[in-house]
Amino acid sequence: MSDTTENTPATGTTGGIRRSSSSRASKKPKKSTIPYGILLALVIGGIGVALGTVNFTLGFFWFTGMAFGFILQKTRFCFTASLRDPYLTGSTSLTKAVLTALAITSLGFWAIMYSAHAKGLPIPGQGFVVPFGVHTMVGAFIFGIGMVISGGCASGTLMRVGEGFLMQILSLTFFIVGSVLSAATFGWWQLNFINQSPKVFLPDVLGWFGAIVVQLLIIGFLWIAADKYGKAKGASDAH
Amino acid sequence: MKEVTLDCLGEACPVPLVKAQKALEDLAIGDVLIVSIDHSCAMKNVPEWAREAGHNVEIEEVDDGEWEVVIEKAK
Repeated sequence: MSDTTENTPATGTTGGIRRSSSSRASKKPKKSTIPYGILLALVIGGIGVALGTVNFTLGFFWFTGMAFGFILQKTRFCFTASLRDPYLTGSTSLTKAVLTALAITSLGFWAIMYSAHAKGLPIPGQGFVVPFGVHTMVGAFIFGIGMVISGGCASGTLMRVGEGFLMQILSLTFFIVGSVLSAATFGWWQLNFINQSPKVFLPDVLGWFGAIVVQLLIIGFLWIAADKYGKAKGASDAH
Repeated sequence: MKEVTLDCLGEACPVPLVKAQKALEDLAIGDVLIVSIDHSCAMKNVPEWAREAGHNVEIEEVDDGEWEVVIEKAK
């Protein structure tokens, strides 16, 4: 933060900045939304339990999905902003949040995989070890352009449509169109581009402990870089 | 003291921010810029950018899911 913010009022206060009363939008009395919230929680819980009795995993996915969406909405966590804001505003707070989340999930997934490996069980998630190559970078670049223009990545778009930002139904529609097209033609892409690149599973290359150490070191390095970048940018903006 | 209102209702995430940055450039110190937004993401990055740049910022929820970010240019 800059050193000139001593007269900045705390978030949400009113009346600190003088503004002509004519421009102040007339406030409608707000209805309490708590009854709707309780009703919705009951419906969500009911559907979750119903799904869980049919198939436990289905119910589990329902609740984890709900929890993920809730946290995403309440924290304004946005993967798009985490990669866009450093360039646009110099803010890296979300970048650091995403890196922290990556570090925590890395540890969690590592623990799950390693415990399976130590017990001699098949390592879960091997189906997600996919070839890495030029196609990854080209795809990431196109995805990056798309998510900045449409105002959200996949989870962000879903969350904002749910929140009531109707314009992004447009993004959601074409997100589905694109997904369907890519799913329909995936075999061709796989045959001609994807399978020509190598698959890399870090523990195979670096050993189990080497893999987690290297991964956390890279994330830690990026976190420090993001922190320094954010501070440098914030300082230069303020002067 | 001038007061400018920027209507960003219906604009998705980076647009309100970019518009606010541009609009604020044309204002003098002490002028007030009011950015109307209804995209929750802009609720985060517009005030964050403005505070970081050293301006005075207030957020007012005008209606459910509709906010006004009031920025007083401080430098």
